[in-house]
Amino acid sequence: MSLSYRIAYVFLRNLYSYKRFIVPTFLVSLVEPLFYLITFGVGMGAYMGAFGGKPYLHFLVPGVLASAVMMSSSFECLYGTYIKIVHEKVYDSLIATPVSADEAVAGDIAWGSFRGLVSGTLMMSVALLMGVAPASPVRLALLLVFMVFIGVLFGSLAMIVTSVAPSFDFFSYYTELVITPMLFFSGVFFPLDNFPPWMKTLAEFLPLTHAVRISRAVFTGEPAAGLGWSFAGLIVLTAVIFTISIRMMRKRLIK
Amino acid sequence: MTTLVTASGLTKKYGDLVAVDGISFEIREGECFGFLGPNGAGKTTTVRMIHCVSPVTSGTLTVGGLPSGIGNRALKMMTGVIPQEINLDNDLTVHENLVVFARFFDIGRREARVRIAELLRFVELEAKVGSKISELSTGMKRRLLIARALVNRPRLIVADEPTTGLDPQARHLIWQRLRQLKTQGTTLVLTTQYMEEAQQLCDRIVVMYQGKILKEGTPSKLVEEEIGREVVEVRIPQEDDERVLRHLAAFPCAHERVGDTLYFYCRDGHGLMRRLLELDLPNTLNRPATLEDVFLKLTGRSLHE
Repeated sequence: MSLSYRIAYVFLRNLYSYKRFIVPTFLVSLVEPLFYLITFGVGMGAYMGAFGGKPYLHFLVPGVLASAVMMSSSFECLYGTYIKIVHEKVYDSLIATPVSADEAVAGDIAWGSFRGLVSGTLMMSVALLMGVAPASPVRLALLLVFMVFIGVLFGSLAMIVTSVAPSFDFFSYYTELVITPMLFFSGVFFPLDNFPPWMKTLAEFLPLTHAVRISRAVFTGEPAAGLGWSFAGLIVLTAVIFTISIRMMRKRLIK
Repeated sequence: MTTLVTASGLTKKYGDLVAVDGISFEIREGECFGFLGPNGAGKTTTVRMIHCVSPVTSGTLTVGGLPSGIGNRALKMMTGVIPQEINLDNDLTVHENLVVFARFFDIGRREARVRIAELLRFVELEAKVGSKISELSTGMKRRLLIARALVNRPRLIVADEPTTGLDPQARHLIWQRLRQLKTQGTTLVLTTQYMEEAQQLCDRIVVMYQGKILKEGTPSKLVEEEIGREVVEVRIPQEDDERVLRHLAAFPCAHERVGDTLYFYCRDGHGLMRRLLELDLPNTLNRPATLEDVFLKLTGRSLHE
């Protein structure tokens, strides 16, 4: 792989372009967490009583944090990147410069991760205003770092889909058949304990399950079973997915 | 003059399709070298290999002594690309487009500011510095592409059909700028379908067809060799050909019937015309031979789609 500091140049290009969309994207990123936290957290939470000794909102927030990062980074690396390749031809002009195709893709994954971080941070801010805070400031900082990490994971995963997408419509398969189900089977909204065994096994194969488990443990400070494995698994998975995504995008970009 | 680009047996295949079929050529430092050919002749594929965005299937291709290749950053550093398709960054302003591009070439902020001001003056876009790309006309966009290609002060410029879709004013301005670059010592590689463009800009050209080079030479030499000095066009029904040809038998001229027209390629067009007038034909034309005649003769007159 041909990666260097030039990844930062690609990130910078995206930052310039972002200036124009910053207000609308902030609004969207704020509305989404409010929607989840108010409807599920406050509305539904009222019927659920204490949840492991705390209000439901405390259970919900770390899960929704992880899923918000997943959503933002995925969408950026699906639609955002596709537009840059097919419609805006940004990649064509990029790879004619000393910036390599690998760096262009890595820069876009980094950008997807950043967008995930922005969404996660806004979500966190809303939660803080609602009185739901991580166990300590250090844990808050750790969560931010973790968001960057899962942003890279889901950004890379989306990049693989983009590398083979013949058109925009293709992304619906991924969002409807992978992303949305993952949202409901990964313990974001409720614990997986009462799932039948086969569903529990299935959930273990979803990266979001592990991301949520780690996010919740870091947030609350309560250790969970298999945390080490979740973490090791995600690191290996991210490395593999990242490498595959760069290879596949290279195939799409260089002809 | 030293040689900057050398290709030998250069081939590019996409699956079974042979886009460039074992061509060899040399481009000298400081000259303007043109690739002419109809759509699908392999011009763009060839120049994409020269500026290192498309891998070579077989054969050799070197630029400045270095083998061309996807990973060759040193070559990309010294090359400026004016693409066929306008791929400016629509999310960015005119100025930002150049700022970001300067970064891609490791050019520092202060240096970039100086160069960008200079380049915008060069392509006469100073007034548009803060404009969005969507606010520019096609001619302005093409000029901005030139400025962008120059941001790294390239030794080699690859211009792939740089004036497609422009009105005459815009086209002439671009020609002037490209000629100006050449006088500053920059090597220019141009692809075009416009024969006038090739005649205006190129020191040497090759005519490509179906992935192969058919002819190479200076524009004037090619016209002289392939066509002669003048062309006489006679628009008459085909059944009259024999009568006219018999009448002109004394003239050593090549002739060709294409559609509704009988073409004569010769040195003494005036003499031929005088003799033709005796026949009192309604529709005849005597004009100098051009590169377009060469082009049509070499690549055929049928449509290339």
